[in-house]
Formats: sequence, C-alpha cells, structure tokens
Amino acid sequence: MAEGYYDYPVVKRPVWTWEVPAYFWLGGMAAGAYVTASLAQNFGSADDRRVAGGGYYVAAAALVPCAPLLVADLGRPDRFHHMLRIFKPLSPMNLGAWTLTSFTPLAFARAASHAASTGLLRGPLGALARLVPTRLAELAGGVLGLTLAGYSGVLLAATNVPLWARSKLLGGLFMASALASGSAAVTLQAGRGGVPDATLHRLTTIESAASAGEMAILTGYLVQSGKTARPLTTGRFSAPFWLGAVGAGMLLPLLLHRVAGRRHGRALRSLSSAAALCTIAGSLALRWSIFEAGKVSSEDQAASFELSGGAGR
Amino acid sequence: MIDAYRRMMNIEQPPAPKAARGFFTDTSLCIGCKACEVACKQWNQLPADGFAMTGNSYDNTGHLGATTWRHVQFIEQAKANGSGQDQRWLMMSDVCKHCANAACLEACPTGALVRTEYGTVYVQQDICNGCGFCVPACPFGVIDRTPKTGHFEAGTAHKCTLCYDRLKDDMTPACAKSCPTASIQFGEIDELRANARRRLGELQARGESKARLYGMPDGQEAAEVGPLHAFFLLLDEPKTYNLPEVPRLPRKTMAERYGWSAAVGIGFALVGALVFGRRG
Repeated sequence: MAEGYYDYPVVKRPVWTWEVPAYFWLGGMAAGAYVTASLAQNFGSADDRRVAGGGYYVAAAALVPCAPLLVADLGRPDRFHHMLRIFKPLSPMNLGAWTLTSFTPLAFARAASHAASTGLLRGPLGALARLVPTRLAELAGGVLGLTLAGYSGVLLAATNVPLWARSKLLGGLFMASALASGSAAVTLQAGRGGVPDATLHRLTTIESAASAGEMAILTGYLVQSGKTARPLTTGRFSAPFWLGAVGAGMLLPLLLHRVAGRRHGRALRSLSSAAALCTIAGSLALRWSIFEAGKVSSEDQAASFELSGGAGR
Repeated sequence: MIDAYRRMMNIEQPPAPKAARGFFTDTSLCIGCKACEVACKQWNQLPADGFAMTGNSYDNTGHLGATTWRHVQFIEQAKANGSGQDQRWLMMSDVCKHCANAACLEACPTGALVRTEYGTVYVQQDICNGCGFCVPACPFGVIDRTPKTGHFEAGTAHKCTLCYDRLKDDMTPACAKSCPTASIQFGEIDELRANARRRLGELQARGESKARLYGMPDGQEAAEVGPLHAFFLLLDEPKTYNLPEVPRLPRKTMAERYGWSAAVGIGFALVGALVFGRRG
C-alpha cells in the first residue's frame, strides 16, 4: 500500500509542452555556437577566425524560433511581455526571459557585423552593422550566452519534480549539452567551406572536451538521482535517453572524433560532420527525454516523499 | 523622484499591511460533509470538475486544482485482520497553505503572484501570462493552470485566494463560514495558533498520541517554506495526508545549482581558449 493518500501524486504535473525542450535545445545550441565562435575569434589563428563568422550565423539562425517557441508555450501568449514588466533574477524564468531578450539582438548584430565585413551586407544596413563594437559584442554575448545555456537546467531543477530537483547537476548537464551542440554546429558549418584541417582538428578537440564533460556530469546526475531517475533510465523514455542522448549524442561522437583526429582532408570533413550531427541530435534527445520523464516523475508519490523527507538532506 | 515616476505611470501604492489572517484546519473535527468545497465553488464561481469516480473513497475530487480550492480527503484505512478496531476514517479539508516563503511566488516571473496586506498569497489574474512555472514549483501540488482552451479564465494560474474579496469587506472566507463543525477556523494567525496549541493539548490529554500540528513556526515543515498561514491539526504523520515532511523551497539550493552550471561554462571557455591559443 502507498505510504500517502492512496497513490495520488504529491506535486502537480508540469503543464509545459514540447515547445520548452525545443527552445532549450535551440537556445542552448545558439549560445554554444556564439561562445565557440567568440573563442575562435579572440584566441585563434587567422584560419581559426574564419570559422567564427559561420558560428555567428548559426547562433543567429538558431535564435530565430526561440522567442516564438517560448511565447507559444504560455497559457496567455498575448501577455508574453508581462515577463519583462519586472526584473526578478530570483526567478529563473524571469532571468531567462531577460537573457533571451538581450542576447538575441546582440547575436543578430554580431552576425550582421560579420556579414558587412565580408561584403554580404551592403548599403545603409551594412554601414550600420559596421558600427557594432565587435569585441564588446563578443564579451557581452559570451556572458549572456553562457547564462542562456546554463539557466534552463536550473529552471527545471528549481521545482519540486523529483527527477529534475533531486540532483544538483541538471543545470551543469544542460550547460554541457548546450556547449557540445553549439561547438558541433560550428564544426558542421566549418566542414562545408575550405577550412584547414588544423582548425577542424581544434574544433573537434573542443567538442570532445564538451562531450566528455557532459558524460561525466551525466554520470554524477544519475548517481545522485538514484531510484528517482527510473522514469528516465527505464520505461518509455529509456530508448531516446540511452540510445539517443547517451549513445548517439555522446559515445558515438567521442569515438568518431578519436578516429577523425588521425585523418585529413575529405575523411576528416565527413567524420567531423557526422559526429557533429550526432551531437546535435543527441542534445535534443537529452532535453526531450529528461523533460518528458520529469512529467512521469511528478506523479511518483514515493519519489516526492523521498525528495521532501526530513532525514538525509 | 520615485514618487513622481509612480504618479506618471499611474502605479498605485500597495495597501498598508494588516494583521496576518489565515486558516486553522482542525482535521479531528472534520466530518467530510464537503460544505467547504461547495461554498468555495459557489462564492468564487468555479466550474464543476466533472463526475469521474476515483473508486477509492467518497472523495471523487482527488486533488486541489485550478478550479478546486478546497478539497476534502477521505482517508479510509482498514487492516487485513477484519477487526473493527483497526479501521479508521480520517478526513481533512485541504487548501492552499499560503506559505510565509511561497515557492510559487518566488518562481513567478511576471509578479502576478503577490503577498497581500493580509499576509496571504494571491494571483493577479490580469497579470498572469500562464507561464506555468508556479505549478511544479509548489511543494504541495496546490496551484495549477487552467486549460488554454477552457471557458473559465483560460490559460492562467489559479488557487485559493483566501477569499481576498471577502477579506476586503471584513467577511469570513466562504469555506470557514460554511463549515458546520468549526473544523475550518478563520482569523488572525496569532489567535489561531493559540487555539491550535490548546486544542492539541486537549486531544493529547485524551490519548490521541499521534495528533500534531502542521505548519507552526517551530515545526520541521517550516524549515524552508516558513510557517504556513493555512495550517493544520493532523491525527497522524503528514504523509498520511499526502503532505511532505519538509516541503522544499527551490530557492534554497539554487545558488549551488547555478554554481555547477557556471563551473561547466567557465571550464569550457578555458579549454576553448587553450585549444585555440595553441596556434598551429
């Protein structure tokens, strides 16, 4: 027999739908691509800097659907601007709304500035884009981007859904996933043009570091969650989680990068592009499976009592 | 200058604080008549929940929700030996706890959820944009969002207002007014707490050894969410009533969570700077 009132849930099931994990995925990828591009721009060689522009384009493109997805998920989309009637960073939702609102125009400005520098954007708009202080945009965008990539997991964890709240590492996990998918998006973009092998090797090294970090933090997350993680590790969402997020999203790219590390030319390009696609797809699988399994977890009375138990906290 | 801005923007001054009001729900007096559920629905013009049967007890409501702000639990328990002594039937009228540190209020990104002059927690329906963050934030599973395509205040968050409109006119909330056994008592918090302590003493003297108060300032349940403005006298441990032992306030662990997130981000930036810095 259940310990509580019949087997009724203790907490409410989240009302959010698919728009939320889709936004976390795209927003995270945009932020990761922007940060990677800014690192290449500021620390890389002349060749490395050639991938930065593509990174800024990817970031801007991935940001386009973000705000519409967030608005669509609201119960009253016509009141989306109420998010910005106060500044309340204590609420991760409010912090995220302000971060997206400031990061989006910044990322567009930096992409426009690159387009102007290559002659793609001409006329008065190009002249305007040339006025963007690039260094400042890279620094401020880097900070805002890391906030955007890092707040989403904390937002889910700042609830009483056992799967999301039990471990302290969900914010770090989503951050790592965002940076892995963002750097992968830059690689994918770089693989198309005539970027030297050395630069591609550096990009795959960075991607590998992000994926390895993601693996490590995911392990910690699962260990800390213990039995609470069952809706994710077994049952309906175990296939997208193990095969999609872990297999295709982390293990396969790490393997492909190892092989790609010793290859050059076209082989390197195909391998690194394949690995990047896997990482990006895995990142979506990770957000989606944890998001959906969280809804199942919210109905788990025993997990709720364990989370809010007096002893062992 | 702030005053000038307020005048210009037509921003009202918040009402002056009043003595904190709340509910003391004494479950030892509840007879399960559900008058509170009905009175709440009538006064607040909340739609019916449908006619589904839970099959567990006479409680066919099941949960508090967006359109159910009082809910009477029927805890029917019988041990397998069939002896009448081992059967019990506990009743409890559940409600929003109006926590001193309310998770829903802290989660709210629009400022729709506010603390009223009576110390209660209230959703401003004209501000709420239905982001849904308060719903899983509440450790008691109280607040919920109405369906986006419903007929009743579609797509916004709802919960007990502690009859804010009635309080404004010095009236007792509808549920307390309708309770025939004084199981639901309304009043100033300090007075209610004194009543609760007295009643607990009475019950313990009569041998109700498991009786306890839930939501008092000195209880372990107040460790994070603070004292509850709607508190209870229970006849068994909180879990029996689906109440968490120590309800969690998400804010308490948020800094640590952001810390891990930031550590990963900074680590990535350092690796990136180092890798790109090794110019080939």
